[in-house]
Amino acid sequence: MLPRKKNFKKNITPSLRRRFWLPLGFLLLSFLLMILPLEGVVSSVKAVLAYVFIPQVRLAHGTAKYAENVHQTVRELLDTHRENRVLKQEIEMTKLLASQAESILDENGRLTEILRLNPAKRWKGVWAKVAYREPTQWNTVIIDKGSREGIRERSAVISMEAGKEGLAGVVVEVTENTSKVLLVRDEDFSAAVYLERGQEEGLLVGNGPRPVRIKYIPLLTQVEKGDKVFTASTSSIFPAGILVGEVSEVREDESFQTALTIHVEPLVHSASVKEVFVILENEGAS
Amino acid sequence: MWSFAKLVFLFILATIFHWAFASIFSYWGLSVNMLLAFAAAFCAILKPAFGYPAAFICGLFLDFFGTKLFGNNAFSFTVCACIVYGLSERFDFDAFFPQIVTVFGLVLLAGVLNSLLFLWFTSAVQWPGFWSLFGGAWISALFAPAVFWVVRRTLGKASVCRQV
Repeated sequence: MLPRKKNFKKNITPSLRRRFWLPLGFLLLSFLLMILPLEGVVSSVKAVLAYVFIPQVRLAHGTAKYAENVHQTVRELLDTHRENRVLKQEIEMTKLLASQAESILDENGRLTEILRLNPAKRWKGVWAKVAYREPTQWNTVIIDKGSREGIRERSAVISMEAGKEGLAGVVVEVTENTSKVLLVRDEDFSAAVYLERGQEEGLLVGNGPRPVRIKYIPLLTQVEKGDKVFTASTSSIFPAGILVGEVSEVREDESFQTALTIHVEPLVHSASVKEVFVILENEGAS
Repeated sequence: MWSFAKLVFLFILATIFHWAFASIFSYWGLSVNMLLAFAAAFCAILKPAFGYPAAFICGLFLDFFGTKLFGNNAFSFTVCACIVYGLSERFDFDAFFPQIVTVFGLVLLAGVLNSLLFLWFTSAVQWPGFWSLFGGAWISALFAPAVFWVVRRTLGKASVCRQV
């Protein structure tokens, strides 16, 4: 038996050893990165990687955009598509302003009369296109505007869906030319909201692939399927009165029956977000 | 040095392709993973001393976009690299069919592995959906021969390549 063992040891060549230790080293390194908290060493690693990857991302985005522009130029020769897009954006902006004004009027009347709050002012912001959507992170998108356009972390993001403006998410990371947006369905997303019918406030939380929920709504609240849900004035991030979605289900069998669990179908679907409006000055929420 | 410059160029090319494909096919809800196709091509062509780091860095690039977990893509890409090096003993990666089958299998495996790692480390479900993953794997696999051709053509018979 012993000579066999010796032969076996002799057979392990440096290249075989490398083929074993190299992948093991990388697997251990990636495992280490996964178990470390995101705030400490990992954020430093990410910051270092940003120096390498951000120019690359910009280059990739620029190239993809350039290819898109070549395609558009060909279309412009036919004199249709671009004009159509610009007009659509203008119509969306007009619709947004109109519905915003309507919502603000209602909100103002009620809040000034009942709660004596300052009237909400107009939202100011920038339109941005979804530049990248990582296939495994459906609830996070990267938009093509960043700190250069005045976007800051925790800026509210809205989008148009079926001619209405609705809450899309919140900015979580900002670079000079891009921003990362956490969408409503993400498990880390939460917002103070109120129900249209009885004005009860609760906390809207994303739930991944499962339905978005509102917590802490009192058990005897009158709420029905189809009731609209809006962002509440108590939110420090989101301006009041943005439509979030509609109630899709009301459950009484959770949370030990001390509160209702309400499922909400968000107006803005994660998969269909193409263009977003990032609110830069949220004076109404202060 | 020249080989290293070619590798850097291929990595940048891979990210551009991945970016463009992911943006285009996300419109139909498909999880296309061109970077994994490039990582598989790197491992099929390069020596392990270059293939494993290349796959790891490709994974790390995808991890850069994550918000909750860092390192899961680097892990799954390294596992995929191990599989490609294991398969290269039996498969001839010069032929189209092994390239397509391998990339198809690897994209599915990486999707499942990422979801499991997410579930394990964050207790969150990060499942793109079966049809999204299946369709994305098909698209990635269909473009695999082109990816392998580009990588082989660019590297030629560089010193970083394996002796076949």
